[in-house]
Amino acid sequence: MQFNGDASGSNLQSEINITPLVDVVLVLLIIFMVVVPLLMQGYDVDIPRSSANAVPAQAAESRLILSIGPKACRILEPPAGEGLPADCRVTLADQNIPAAELPARLAQILGSQPTGKRVLFLAADDRLNYEGVLRIVDLAKSGVQDLTIEFITTH
Amino acid sequence: MRLGESVKMQAAINITPLVDVVLVLLIIFMVMAPQMRKGPDVNLPNTAKPSEQGDERGRILVSVDHAGGLWIDDQPVAAEHFGEALRAAVGAEPDPKVVIRGDARLKFREVRQAMLAIEQAGFRGVGLIAKRAGAEARGD
Repeated sequence: MQFNGDASGSNLQSEINITPLVDVVLVLLIIFMVVVPLLMQGYDVDIPRSSANAVPAQAAESRLILSIGPKACRILEPPAGEGLPADCRVTLADQNIPAAELPARLAQILGSQPTGKRVLFLAADDRLNYEGVLRIVDLAKSGVQDLTIEFITTH
Repeated sequence: MRLGESVKMQAAINITPLVDVVLVLLIIFMVMAPQMRKGPDVNLPNTAKPSEQGDERGRILVSVDHAGGLWIDDQPVAAEHFGEALRAAVGAEPDPKVVIRGDARLKFREVRQAMLAIEQAGFRGVGLIAKRAGAEARGD
């Protein structure tokens, strides 16, 4: 450090105390080592009741049911890229609509309900691809805040 | 003891090797982190906006691998013993929550059957684990 001729200035620089910096970095390192691999992301959903005559949580006629079938929405294989196929159609409260309209329709129907009562019953066909079904769950949750999704089985 | 001198000595400690070691440790843990997860390698579905599900501790991880095989935490479980294995796992947790890590290539049927088995063990809800589309694949 003698080459620039300003001996006192370079002396000062070489004596910066970096020990606290190293301490902080080590602690951060340990925190990230412990936390990062364990974090998960996903969707909370309610499970279908197994017993056929279980009392429904809501009167049957007031249920808002979203059905997805393999004919209207071709997601039998993992969908390519992001989102759903452009021609995917779903059935919301007996109306056949393009999947892209789903967030807006749900916001219109459920947006005025109190948050605890925003319940969507989702009837997904067994043959559909799981990733495709989750993308529809994602689409529905993007339209309404605090939406509760309950899977139901249709037979 | 001449105070000034000893302070100078300390300030001159060469920490470059220490920083090297720390950086190497950081890289090792970044590489190893995906293998530290519980359960089998599952190709998680990509979705646009999954919400945070907290971390794995305190959760019962039910994994459904691409062949439809069921796992509880890191143990493979036969479908016919799934219920009792799940109840055994529940018994060990004070506030159990169940999450399903299902493979993206599965049919919905396999995941629905796992959900039914979880319902029979007394749960009303599960978390379906996904990963944010575009986020780097963390080895699973």
